Amino acid sequence: MKLNAKIPEGKLEEKWRNYQLKSKLINPANKKKLNVIVVGSGLSGAGAAATLAELGYNVQCFCYQDSARRAHSVAAQGGINAAKNYQHDGDSVWRMFHDTLKGGDFRSREANTYRLAELSAPLIDHFTQQGVPFAREYGGVLANRSFGGVQVQRTFYARGQTGQQLLLAAYSQLYKMIRAKKVTMFPRTEMLDLVVIDGRAKGIIIRDLVSGEIKRYVADAVVLATGGYSRVFRLSTLAIGCNGSAIWKAHKKGAFFAAPSFTQIHPTALPQSSETQSKLTLMSESLRNDGRIWVPKKKEDTRKANDIPEEERDYYLERRYPSFGNLAPRDIASRAAKERIDNGHGVGRFRNAVYLDFKHAIERLGLETIKDRYGNLFKMYKKITGVDAYKEPMQISPAAHFSMGGLWVDYELMTTIPGLYAIGECNFSDHGANRLGANSLLQASLDGYFILPNTINNYLASEENRAPVDTNHPAFVDAEKKIKGDIEHILSINGNQTVDHFHRELGKVMWQNCAMSRNQAGLESAIEQIKKIKKAFWQEVKITGHSQELNTELEKALRLADFIELALLMCTDALQRDESCGAHFREEYQTKDGEAWRRDKEYTYVSAWEYTKDYFKLHKEELDFEFVKPTVRSYK
Amino acid sequence: MDLFFRKGVIASTGLFLCLFLIVHLSANCILLLPEDISRELYNSYSTTLRENLLIKLVAYILYLSIILHVVYALLVTIRNRKSTPIKYAVNHSNENSSWTSQNMGFIGFFILLFIVIHLANFWARIKLGMGEEVGTDALGNLDVYEVTSSLFHNIYYVSFYSLLMIPLGLHLHHGLKSAFKTLGFYHKKGLQAIAKIAVVYALIMSIGFGIIPFIVYFK
Amino acid sequence: MKVRFKIWRQDSPIDKGSFKVYEVDGLNPDMSFLEALDHLNEKLVLRNEKVIAFDHDCREGICGQCGVFINGRAHGPHENTTTCQLHMRSFEEGKVIVVEPWRAKAFPVIKDLIVDRSAFDRIIEHGGYISAKTGTASEANAIPVGKDIAERVMDVAACIGCGACVATCKNSSAALFTSAKINHLNSLPQGKPEEHQRVLDMTAQMAKEDFGHCTFTGACEVECPEGISINNIAEMNARFLKAKLFR
Repeated sequence: MKLNAKIPEGKLEEKWRNYQLKSKLINPANKKKLNVIVVGSGLSGAGAAATLAELGYNVQCFCYQDSARRAHSVAAQGGINAAKNYQHDGDSVWRMFHDTLKGGDFRSREANTYRLAELSAPLIDHFTQQGVPFAREYGGVLANRSFGGVQVQRTFYARGQTGQQLLLAAYSQLYKMIRAKKVTMFPRTEMLDLVVIDGRAKGIIIRDLVSGEIKRYVADAVVLATGGYSRVFRLSTLAIGCNGSAIWKAHKKGAFFAAPSFTQIHPTALPQSSETQSKLTLMSESLRNDGRIWVPKKKEDTRKANDIPEEERDYYLERRYPSFGNLAPRDIASRAAKERIDNGHGVGRFRNAVYLDFKHAIERLGLETIKDRYGNLFKMYKKITGVDAYKEPMQISPAAHFSMGGLWVDYELMTTIPGLYAIGECNFSDHGANRLGANSLLQASLDGYFILPNTINNYLASEENRAPVDTNHPAFVDAEKKIKGDIEHILSINGNQTVDHFHRELGKVMWQNCAMSRNQAGLESAIEQIKKIKKAFWQEVKITGHSQELNTELEKALRLADFIELALLMCTDALQRDESCGAHFREEYQTKDGEAWRRDKEYTYVSAWEYTKDYFKLHKEELDFEFVKPTVRSYK
Repeated sequence: MDLFFRKGVIASTGLFLCLFLIVHLSANCILLLPEDISRELYNSYSTTLRENLLIKLVAYILYLSIILHVVYALLVTIRNRKSTPIKYAVNHSNENSSWTSQNMGFIGFFILLFIVIHLANFWARIKLGMGEEVGTDALGNLDVYEVTSSLFHNIYYVSFYSLLMIPLGLHLHHGLKSAFKTLGFYHKKGLQAIAKIAVVYALIMSIGFGIIPFIVYFK
Repeated sequence: MKVRFKIWRQDSPIDKGSFKVYEVDGLNPDMSFLEALDHLNEKLVLRNEKVIAFDHDCREGICGQCGVFINGRAHGPHENTTTCQLHMRSFEEGKVIVVEPWRAKAFPVIKDLIVDRSAFDRIIEHGGYISAKTGTASEANAIPVGKDIAERVMDVAACIGCGACVATCKNSSAALFTSAKINHLNSLPQGKPEEHQRVLDMTAQMAKEDFGHCTFTGACEVECPEGISINNIAEMNARFLKAKLFR
């Protein structure tokens, strides 16, 4: 199968407009007859559901949380990028496009990335109109700050709670449309399978997480907005419930999975402090604006941070990357931290952290300014660690964070299954091999609010006259039967290990072999180990309770079963890509000074994997750089 | 009926009653003067109260306020009870709020009890002519002073009266502080000032009302 | 570290429910409270018992999904925090920790420690938004908003919808939650066109749900993870009166 990204004709800046000019429209009277399912109620899901409903479609929106407002977009702290050039510092759509493409190490599509930058400015207008309390200057205009990998100030923010504010805006718009009876909301439900009829996505099977009932829902198109899958590492910055099941089920039904191994490791999370830890809390990257990262020059230094004199501190990011310093992109900052920690310079109880120090910033700007900028983050740090970061440096550590990879989508955000769309973090589209800070809120919002509602019509226009299917179709019946069987099977194993036990095992294998740096031997062994975990899981897992009730262990088990399979694909992908690019760092492919060695001649393509019964089949979408010549990414 | 209306009635009648208490306390202060001046002044003052048409009207508003305050407090309590059908097995509400604020209804009940007895002793005798007849003083005014003075020389009554000024103080403190918020006053500094005024006011009222009977008793 | 959990177990909304006591060993003080529950749950699975159902998701204090009554306090012994940000170091070795679900008629128990807070969603549904369609926005800087207003709005917009205000209120009043959203939207120029209708609709829905009256005990602002001031309720009352008078 030849992958067709359906990139429109014309110059970069004309592509999106050209697309819209040519895409098919649907008459308002007919939109009323069309149904769309949206799975996920985060920034992209809620934005899409609300906007599609405004356009006249009937929308059914599903989320596993108790309310749409809990989706993990809520946790993004730092901000959202937009090429507004309010700071008059030379920003432009082109520069933002270029930064994003370069930040992603030239492994994303030019056209998609350009559209991301192009639509960013109107998105800020949109959110301001929806009542998002973005930070303001004294004169009443919007304020900005800078983020990693960028030399201009283009990040808009609402204290350290930008994601929350954007999500609540989307959530409120969603409820506006629920009140208008155009959206039906199904909280506490989880999608367990996709139903494909005659090659087209026609519905989903869900489990009602309260009653345990399995139900069928039919629609003319299905939109997945289910977020990232970094919980495959178990310890990550994601919410406990975040999972890859919906996209994995779609993958098994024929949707290609692109660049599964491209996972961003965030440099500024709080270090792990115990074996039983369930998650790693993120400290916003914005802290790197004023905080300086260092480790002691001496190995295994046991002195307290404040007792280490200035000349014995190694500000390694400033040393290695003088022009970007502490604001080097995430993949680079994480790897640099790992390098120092692995070399015995780590700090903290488990020697697994580096310092993030505000001493100089406080001296330079005053305590009040720092409190004003980061007060809530410092408060959060104190709540979790019990340490006052105004007095001693924070301890931070890299943690699994964002999935650049996801379902392969074309320019219209449609997967390889007609009628199935993937938006937000669960697709692979705009970030390439590494995402720049404050671009995730941007991509999720744009996909949901601006892009999908303008592309889905192109597909639905052809569905208008198709004979309708209902939930009695054999495809629905079979899918439901299979799921019920799977659930009863997993409950009947009745082994002697908990779900969490297997998740911890999986997490360890993935973190050691498929995270910040990877090598052939490690990945090969990881694949073997994961296969063993999979086998053991299906023989030894123990779940109490039954299927016809609220059963959190069962939920976890079903998610983990998919994570295990997804982990295999991630390792397969990482092993296949014999180069280093962005977050994908293969130890065999590095330059003399330890930087990533990208092999453009061989690997300038997106790996899109097809699921077959026995193996993962690779398809390549060649990346054509028509407007920007890929250069070696340097932040020195 | 909306949630605001009920609370609004309680707050506005409460504030009106707060004003009334100031007038009442100032009248009580007359009792502190030497007996001959006090008797004359007190009796003529109470006669004026009874006969002035405007004050009569205010008196009716006062009765109505007390009734509405109680009735609406009951309505609010019923709704609140319905909203919280199951109580916590362990609840340390003292760690996040004052005991008074948690028990306004309970405190209010004692004040209501006081008002009933208080009215039976004064208002019923003087205005309704129930019980022992009230004499007149030298100027021909009803000798209300005598009624008050004799009650204030009964140690049981004095103790009862003064003791119940403690719940009154507590009730007034939380009531005054919250009434403004209920009625929509939200100026931050203003509310801080009101919180302080509420303390001072509640102290003056409870100590003032509570101490006068004792002074009269020992005079 | 060893503690005794006394936890409310209730199999379904119609089940009567009761407390059960669990001795838990092998905890460490740096564990979060929810991790201690995870730990207990793993033990329960291996003992062939049903796990304790509790709500949680982000575990970093922002999603608002977690929330239980711990030793007589919403979200546990500390002020302005969430259950997920509570750590075992806040408890004493060997002591009993009593864990109950939120208790309010408007938040019925679904199972064990999980309650149904959809009443909050319905309040938002009735006006907690700005009625503007995607694609109709004008340039963001065209309408300046003073820094002090933006900051004040952010203070209330920070509400995470966890329900601690209702849970801790002796009357189960949702006034703090509702006022936070009303004051957020009505303070902004973008929210002005429908300010009166918003107050009336949202408060009417609040009354329709089974919430009680606010009697200003002040417990809510102490337990609110975001420290939202109780003065917001006064401000909502003012907005309500204004809406009644001037609409």
